[in-house]
Amino acid sequence: MSTPPFNARRLETQVLSDPANLAGVRKEIEAFCAECGFDETSGNEMGLCVNEAMANVMRHAYRGAMDRPVQVVAEFEDPSMRITVRDWGERFDTTMLPKDAPRDLMKPGGVGMICLRQLMDDITFTPMDQGTQLTMTRNRMSRGRRRA
Amino acid sequence: MNELKSTSTLIPSARSEGDALVVSVSGEIDLNNSPELRGALFGLLDKSLSKRVILNLENVPYMDSSAIAVLVELLRRMGKGPNKVFLTNLQPRVRGLLEIARLNTIFVVTESEAEALAKTS
Repeated sequence: MSTPPFNARRLETQVLSDPANLAGVRKEIEAFCAECGFDETSGNEMGLCVNEAMANVMRHAYRGAMDRPVQVVAEFEDPSMRITVRDWGERFDTTMLPKDAPRDLMKPGGVGMICLRQLMDDITFTPMDQGTQLTMTRNRMSRGRRRA
Repeated sequence: MNELKSTSTLIPSARSEGDALVVSVSGEIDLNNSPELRGALFGLLDKSLSKRVILNLENVPYMDSSAIAVLVELLRRMGKGPNKVFLTNLQPRVRGLLEIARLNTIFVVTESEAEALAKTS
């Protein structure tokens, strides 16, 4: 087993897919980001991304069921934060996700994915034997991939 | 001016002023309580029959995409035309989310209720 780098930190939490759990996990992530040296804005943005990723799981992978597991793991190895959001629900077709192309602003939906794409440096959906794992990364000095 | 009573603690106060419905929203809003906001907001709109809506978000430090969806639905419901939905007193996180989603261009964003009311009169 390898020894973790001295500056590595880890946060792991698992909750049920009840929207009442969103705020608590978001605030844990924001506090963890601050502890790892991210500024408040960056921590808040990563908290929002975790909120949006979990909400997607609740709405799409679990179709509103509130008693299914959602696991969130944040690992920091300076200067990079890596956050995974894991579900054991229905896989969804990632090719159907909205792209960065111009969209009809008057149509609701898609804002959560826009946040993930613009506020994180990289996002990857990995199909698992059961469910999906979303991996999001952001460097401490980065502002994500937002448009100028 | 006519005070209106909301069914939700997310809307501590609301009133009709001229042809505008002025609504104060309070609290962090995510998927857990955005359906409550939607029901309360549209309930007030049904009662007031206002032509414009001013949402004071001074006491909303955080909202997610599900709350944004309520605001977009409100805008669609108010119909076409300028100066239909005003968002005032935005907190930095809410302003940031609207900018990321480029939705700051479809709402009228003002610094105060007074500024919004001046634009409706």
